[in-house]
Amino acid sequence: MTADRLPDEIKGVMENGVPVILATCSSDGIPNATIISQVYYVDPNTVAVSFQFFNKTSRNVRENPHASLCLNDLLTSNKWLLQVEYDHSETAGPIFETMDMHIEAIASATGMSGIFKLKAADIYRVKSVEKLAGN
Amino acid sequence: MATPLDKTLLEQLQQELAQKSEEVRVLRQMSSEVNATLNLDEIYAAVLGTMYDLFGFHHSLILLLDDSAETLRVVASRGYKDPAVGAKAPLGVGVIGTVARRRKMMRVGNLSQSRSYAAAVRSEMAHSDQADELEAVPELPGLPDAESQIAIPLLIKDTLVGVFAVESAERKVFTERDETLVSVVANLSASAIHNALLYKKQEEYSQSLAEKVEERTRQLAGRNKELEHTLEELKETQNQLVIQEKMASLGNLVAGVAHEINTPLGVLNSNNDTLSLTVKKMRQLLEDWPAEGEVKQADKVRDLLRSMNSLTEFNGMAAERMIKIVTGLRTFARLDRAAEDEVDIHEGLESTLSLIHNQLKDRVTVHKDYGDVPPIRCHPSRLNQVYMNLLVNASQAIAGKGEIQLKTFATENDVVVEITDTGEGIPAENLGRVFDPGFTTKGVKVGTGLGLSIVQRILDEHDGKIEVESKVGRGIDIPRIPASSPGQSAEILNIALFRARSQTA
Repeated sequence: MTADRLPDEIKGVMENGVPVILATCSSDGIPNATIISQVYYVDPNTVAVSFQFFNKTSRNVRENPHASLCLNDLLTSNKWLLQVEYDHSETAGPIFETMDMHIEAIASATGMSGIFKLKAADIYRVKSVEKLAGN
Repeated sequence: MATPLDKTLLEQLQQELAQKSEEVRVLRQMSSEVNATLNLDEIYAAVLGTMYDLFGFHHSLILLLDDSAETLRVVASRGYKDPAVGAKAPLGVGVIGTVARRRKMMRVGNLSQSRSYAAAVRSEMAHSDQADELEAVPELPGLPDAESQIAIPLLIKDTLVGVFAVESAERKVFTERDETLVSVVANLSASAIHNALLYKKQEEYSQSLAEKVEERTRQLAGRNKELEHTLEELKETQNQLVIQEKMASLGNLVAGVAHEINTPLGVLNSNNDTLSLTVKKMRQLLEDWPAEGEVKQADKVRDLLRSMNSLTEFNGMAAERMIKIVTGLRTFARLDRAAEDEVDIHEGLESTLSLIHNQLKDRVTVHKDYGDVPPIRCHPSRLNQVYMNLLVNASQAIAGKGEIQLKTFATENDVVVEITDTGEGIPAENLGRVFDPGFTTKGVKVGTGLGLSIVQRILDEHDGKIEVESKVGRGIDIPRIPASSPGQSAEILNIALFRARSQTA
């Protein structure tokens, strides 16, 4: 089942946190996949992805805004595939603040305050959403 | 008429309405409870109880910001094996610390996943050149394996008071609705906690103020007592100065009188001797002189000579008595001796007895038991004052006729003077006060109450001591009046120990 907007039930999946896989591609067609720590539900057409370490991902989406997100629902084992398009990055504001707070809470509790830092909240437009049944 | 679908929807809506009504009721009840008391423990119990009763949340914590404003401390908890009251959560560390620092609520539902991700990154970094950037994992209050958590800052006008948190070891337990309800509870309890804290601080401040006032009052009372004591000492010193001045004047007077009387006394004594000799010679001449017819006349002359002889004998006795008194006065005042001297204590005792002879003569018999006592280095006139005061006390303690026992002896290091009288003694309750300045049992017109105080002061100056024993009805015991001598030589070290004793005959 494919939809062009995010259903409500995906909010809980996003709250699950990692693992979320983000796949991007450079302008010359070289793909890259990485695990990211947080995807934040902004509205039915928008998600925010945490930008912490991944310089290659960041460079890719600025060259080629098309990307894919794979979310794993750990409770149901369902997977969600999102086709998204990079829109812009935010380094302040409520979305950034909320994501930054979450990262700070986890990082400080695990002795990683100096390492886990949110550089930006990358805002993506949702193009399509597909729910895949789990195993 | 409602269709079956409408009916189901209606029932569902009715259920939701009933649930919300129940929630509102419980929240109102909790609000009433927390606002009806200023007792923090009661507020904590109401809030944590509501979490359990209304929402079924088993684990909840209330943390308050401590005075440093850098750390939260657990003040109450529910559902934990270890209540961990007092456990710290630094600001900016963990979910609770971050909520406190940001003053924004937070709801998380899959903490173990985030922790696992962090642990994986940490493990990789530990084996890389970035290992130095890793920090120690802090120990935080709450469930160590918490999966879901809602943490809400307790705010009063943007000022952080603490954090209220609920948590669970299960994933995604808390919904947006829970978040809203917990927020309502937190907001309701924040002002109640804040008010109770203010009240507690006010009470502590009042208590502290009361304690400070009490302490200060105690200090002032102590200072007042010290001042009273100092005043007493000053009065005593002043009295002693007056007495010393009087004694000095008396000494001068005695010296003057003794000198003035001594010369005519000498003349009188000498003339009396000459007169006695002359009478004796005349008597011898008369033995050869009377011729017949003149015998009657010679008998008359003999009678006159006998009378003259008697008179000269009486004159001689009177003159000797006066000389003894004058000598006693001179010895007592020690004006012919240095201020500090090596003296025989018996000399001082004898001169003192001479001076108070009039008080004793027909009433009090003095028994002397003088031992073999070495001379001591002392201020003779000061020690004479000691003898005078003690002997006068002993004499005055005897109503009617009685006895005074005067005994001296030497121990290894001390000289002891023991004065015992057959007076009435001192009641036990007064025994500890006899050396207090102003204490007297003689009546205001008889005693100044300074006698024994002066004795003690003088003996203190001589490194000596005085001891008193007494039993009412059995006489006064003043057993030890020791006095060692300042600056004395080694062979007479600490030999001045005086003892006065009084007991019934």
